[in-house]
Amino acid sequence: MMMNNWLKLACIGLLGYVLVFSLYVPLVPGGLHVDTEKIRPGVNEFVFTGYNTHFLSERKSLQVLIMSGNTTYCGEVVSVSDNAHVSTRVVLPDTLPSTTITFFVNNDVDGTLSVFSAIDMSSFVFAEGYKKGSCEMAVSNNEHIGFGFPFQHKLYEGIRNLMFHVPMWFTMFFLMIMSFAYGMKCLRGTKNNNVVVQFDNTDISHNEKLLRFDRKSADYAKVGLVFCMLGLITGSIWARFTWGDWWTSDPQLNGALAVFIAYSAYLILRSSTLDPEKRARLSAIYNIFAFVMMVILLMIMPRFYDSMHPGKGGNPAFNSYDLDSSLRAVFYPAVIGWILLGYWIYALKNRISNLTHKCHEQL
Amino acid sequence: MLQALLKKELMLELRQKHALAGIVIYILSTVFVCYLSIQVVEQIKVWGALLWITGLFTAFSAMQKTFSNEGKGVHIYLHTLTSPRKIILAKSIYNAALVALLNVFCLLLFVLFLGKGVLDKVSYPQLFLAVILGSAGLGTALSFMAGMAFRTGNNTGLISVIGFPIVIPQLITLVKATSLALGGVSFVENSLQFVILCSLLLASLVLALILFPYLWRD
Repeated sequence: MMMNNWLKLACIGLLGYVLVFSLYVPLVPGGLHVDTEKIRPGVNEFVFTGYNTHFLSERKSLQVLIMSGNTTYCGEVVSVSDNAHVSTRVVLPDTLPSTTITFFVNNDVDGTLSVFSAIDMSSFVFAEGYKKGSCEMAVSNNEHIGFGFPFQHKLYEGIRNLMFHVPMWFTMFFLMIMSFAYGMKCLRGTKNNNVVVQFDNTDISHNEKLLRFDRKSADYAKVGLVFCMLGLITGSIWARFTWGDWWTSDPQLNGALAVFIAYSAYLILRSSTLDPEKRARLSAIYNIFAFVMMVILLMIMPRFYDSMHPGKGGNPAFNSYDLDSSLRAVFYPAVIGWILLGYWIYALKNRISNLTHKCHEQL
Repeated sequence: MLQALLKKELMLELRQKHALAGIVIYILSTVFVCYLSIQVVEQIKVWGALLWITGLFTAFSAMQKTFSNEGKGVHIYLHTLTSPRKIILAKSIYNAALVALLNVFCLLLFVLFLGKGVLDKVSYPQLFLAVILGSAGLGTALSFMAGMAFRTGNNTGLISVIGFPIVIPQLITLVKATSLALGGVSFVENSLQFVILCSLLLASLVLALILFPYLWRD
């Protein structure tokens, strides 16, 4: 089966766009951390570290604040060593309105950046509604932030992996669904009058058609397995940098590995059956089992157990908080591009297996 | 008809008592080896894992012969008598009961030999229910897989290769249900696991009933 040239061009174009944009679009400015572990009443000095920020060039509009509850305390900028570091002095009263505290930096280019960290505040007295020493924050300058990927704590630059890791699973699902569909087609083609189910040996062209469905189903599954492997690898790398380990006990991860094992078993079953017609029937049946497993393991089970993946185990899904317009602009083309690439690889693979089949027939 | 098929399975089993005895000896020696190497299991999770590793391989060895101990002639004869759905239904029910029985025996041995330390807070009804439901699920899913491995030309090792991925969801849920039961939670807290186990059991039974006619005749 040939693949339409327009689809090939679309695939190359989309993936080229995705590669360029996912690797070159900068992250929007964000607050990284504050170098203090304890704040006390009176004078506090700390250095606020930003990421992709413009502290030096926007020295004039730079403002550092501490917020506790609804009350804001302004800091005095002591020195700005470079675009990412600003050292500040804040004078705090003895009493704060809330036991939590957030650090803010505000300027005309970066907008308002915040760092929330667990900080030792044991030397304060807390009283709700306490307002002494508060000041106002200029928050009207947040529209100037340019096009960029959202800055997420823990993810940082790793957010770019969204364009590689997630589409792998979309592509795998697409390929496995196609494999399942052709498996069903093959199985339906076998004559079924409830008891006698068999290939009709007198009708060679019908038989040949069923074997072609079987080859399609197997090739889809093989390419899907490759994408499953790529999804596991990209996920593992991402997990190392975000969650701190190559493999974490997450139902989504374990489910993905189980799906990998199930489809590997499918290929082992195929290779251990020699008769092509029997192989077509058996592997179509097993394909249905593996597909059901995939749906159970990747779509149903993770919803019952705690998962660290977005959208699972009570975590918010991507679109509810950080799949903003800049990510969408690259993510959707990435999904379509990778699915087209998967289909392209499958089309080539299927041509090869059809030709191999023909060669064997002529021998 | 179903009763006759079940009776046939039972009679075949009783006629080949050595096969059943082999599995019983396998369970006994596995538990004994576990006891010799770790006298006291300190962690609930380890206990659950050991129980289900033994349980899984018990199920595999019980399924090994479920189709292959009948000759080719028997299959053709059954063909003329009944529908393939009835055959797989009978096999599933029989194997579910057999695996449940064997795993209850396995559980008894585990309680006897390795019960020290982990069974302080255990809820026995929940543990029992988990073993029964889990074994029934394993028996049902693996009956079909045994039929499939038999159809490939009786490759005996193949059943564990193709059976294992299919029972992974059941095993995950089982280990979870077992550790919850050992932790002594209330039945309501553990009920989600039982619901999942029941639905997985039903799903594999329905799939087997739908697909077995395609598998049966070649």
